[in-house]
Amino acid sequence: MFLTVNGEKFEHRGDGTVPALLAELGATPEHTAVTVNGELVFSKDWKSFKFNDGDTVEVLTFVGGG
Amino acid sequence: MRPLPDWLNPEPWLNRNFSASDVASALGAESPDESTLAALLSPAAADFLEPMATRAQALTRRHFGRTIQLYVPLYLSSWCSGGCAYCGFAADRRTDRHALDFASVEKELNAIHAMGFEEILLLTGERSSQADLDYLRECVRLAARRFHNVAIEVFPMAETEYRSLTDAGCTSVTLYQETYHPETYDRMHRWGPKKDFVQRLDAPARALAGGLRFAGLGALLGLADPRYDMLALYRHVRHLQKTYWQAGLTVSFPRIRHEAGGFVPPHPVDEKMLAQIIFAFRICLPDVPLVLSTREGAAFRDGMAGIGVNKMSIASKTTVGGYITGGSRAPATTDGEAAVPPQKHESQFDVSDNRGLEEFCAMLRAKQLEPVFKNWDGVYRSSDSFPI
Amino acid sequence: MKHETGNLKLGGHEFKSRLILGTGKFSDTETMIKAIEASGTELVTVALRRFNREKPSDDLCAPLAKLKNIRLMPNTSGAMNAKEAVRAAQLGRELSGSPFVKVEIHPNPHHLMPDAIETYLAAKELAADGFIVLPYIPADPVLAKKLEDVGCAAVMPLGAAIGSGGGLSTVDMIRLIIRDSNIPVIVDAGLRAPSEAARAMEMGCDAVLVNSAIAAARNPVDMARAFALGVETGYAARQAGLMPKSDVAVATSPLTSFLK
Repeated sequence: MFLTVNGEKFEHRGDGTVPALLAELGATPEHTAVTVNGELVFSKDWKSFKFNDGDTVEVLTFVGGG
Repeated sequence: MRPLPDWLNPEPWLNRNFSASDVASALGAESPDESTLAALLSPAAADFLEPMATRAQALTRRHFGRTIQLYVPLYLSSWCSGGCAYCGFAADRRTDRHALDFASVEKELNAIHAMGFEEILLLTGERSSQADLDYLRECVRLAARRFHNVAIEVFPMAETEYRSLTDAGCTSVTLYQETYHPETYDRMHRWGPKKDFVQRLDAPARALAGGLRFAGLGALLGLADPRYDMLALYRHVRHLQKTYWQAGLTVSFPRIRHEAGGFVPPHPVDEKMLAQIIFAFRICLPDVPLVLSTREGAAFRDGMAGIGVNKMSIASKTTVGGYITGGSRAPATTDGEAAVPPQKHESQFDVSDNRGLEEFCAMLRAKQLEPVFKNWDGVYRSSDSFPI
Repeated sequence: MKHETGNLKLGGHEFKSRLILGTGKFSDTETMIKAIEASGTELVTVALRRFNREKPSDDLCAPLAKLKNIRLMPNTSGAMNAKEAVRAAQLGRELSGSPFVKVEIHPNPHHLMPDAIETYLAAKELAADGFIVLPYIPADPVLAKKLEDVGCAAVMPLGAAIGSGGGLSTVDMIRLIIRDSNIPVIVDAGLRAPSEAARAMEMGCDAVLVNSAIAAARNPVDMARAFALGVETGYAARQAGLMPKSDVAVATSPLTSFLK
């Protein structure tokens, strides 16, 4: 399916779960937060949650800030 | 006797020895606190009155310019159910008792307003059936239709009762703890609701919670050790400033001056000490109005105007007359305001400064001070009965 | 709060160190980690950004997770309004597991001044939602009391614009905030020198938050240590009670002759 991930078109080839997407991106699950279509997807729900084609996804982590 | 709440207890700052250099340093304190006040109230500071006055004047000018806010007291009733040992209006004392009827109240209000006043202070004694909350509320309502600022100096009440007065147009409450020393307080208040120290202590907070915009605090100098009471008073003000941070606070300095009806003040405060106290408060509470009433003499009031004091009352024979006392000798009172005796009264000791408005304003202008009648507009009140 | 002794208390948590560190602008992660350690801080701010596959070293989570005794405080920088700040806070809490949030909303990218109104709205909502809210604000005494009223754990008035090194330019306003506050006052932004941190603590601030002054120093690790010393010094001086200033000037015509 095609998703918009962090503002860019992205083809997801995994099983449509968050952990699968993060693995494709090379992101560490413990160090990322994910929103889908503007809504936060809590990590406790990552096993059950499934993306839909065309979803807008933000994958966020902590960087330096004051 | 219950211990004082932590926010009020002045004990940690008492009984310290302050040197001349402590005082000199306190004079320039940028962030004054209890220690600053204690130093400025100390015996060592008595030698520093002139520099204290200089600093007090500079701070008064910075925060208030050259203005002196003027207001006038109106005694509504001389009925009182209380038992204060130091007051001639106590329930067991022989004195004439009157309460103005509403027609008389309106007459007084109109006369006072015609003189140019915009702030009025309505006074009663402790709650009585002749001057109860309903009576007071109606008087407030009548006053609020004519004056921008309506203050009351009456009995402590519940928050809901204060709220009803706010709705009637009241803007300000004045309530003196008399003394913050619980043992002295208990001795001085012989019976009735006023015996309850805590109920009185918490009343200004209830008034502010009940919507009143301003609260005036004070302690009756002479009842207990003035350093104790003035430190506790300062802490009371600071506590209210931090909790009711949108409220305006003022501080008054009522003083027992004479042997009023046989009562001898245990800790008399002379003019020099009173001046020291007022200068100390100006330095430690630079933006809080400090009030001096007509209980103090003309020379003292003239001297203190603008050097610490920036709010003063006027009370003359033409404002309140024999309506209250009915022409007979007025007993001494020791509340914040002097009772104005009627024209026929011989002993003038209650009102020490009975100059009328014109004369008083002329004195202020001669000292390059500017009398101000209004610093608050009634249009900000929620009640919509203003102006008539 | 004035004359508070002992640990810094924020929302029920206690901190020995009164220096809070920002993690931005460091030239590399290793320097940042060493500076954090040198500072002795127990609370650091972090920002939320998009994960970048191309620059995985931007990710601070892994290095920070290795530090002992450090709590993370996500900030809401990037948010332009209360709604975005609230969302950023929720993401931050989800990611860090920490209830701390620095509400930081600066819509103008030039001067980076905080938006008082949006900050208040966000702080109110987040405090009600159980966050430990530390709002970054203009040094406004009224705003500070309103934020206290809605449940913030502290207020963080700016000393000067972010990154400006302008020092304690808001000192008079901060003094007013300290005077009437019932919650800790933490100066955040604008500090340049450890002496300024010491001055803030001497004035009565409960803690300081420093980022640029350390990250942009020639030797950030040593500067972090210097700031730690500055904060400790200022705090100790305040507890010890500074010798008062002597400033007696007397009018030429006596004011008190009426008392004779």
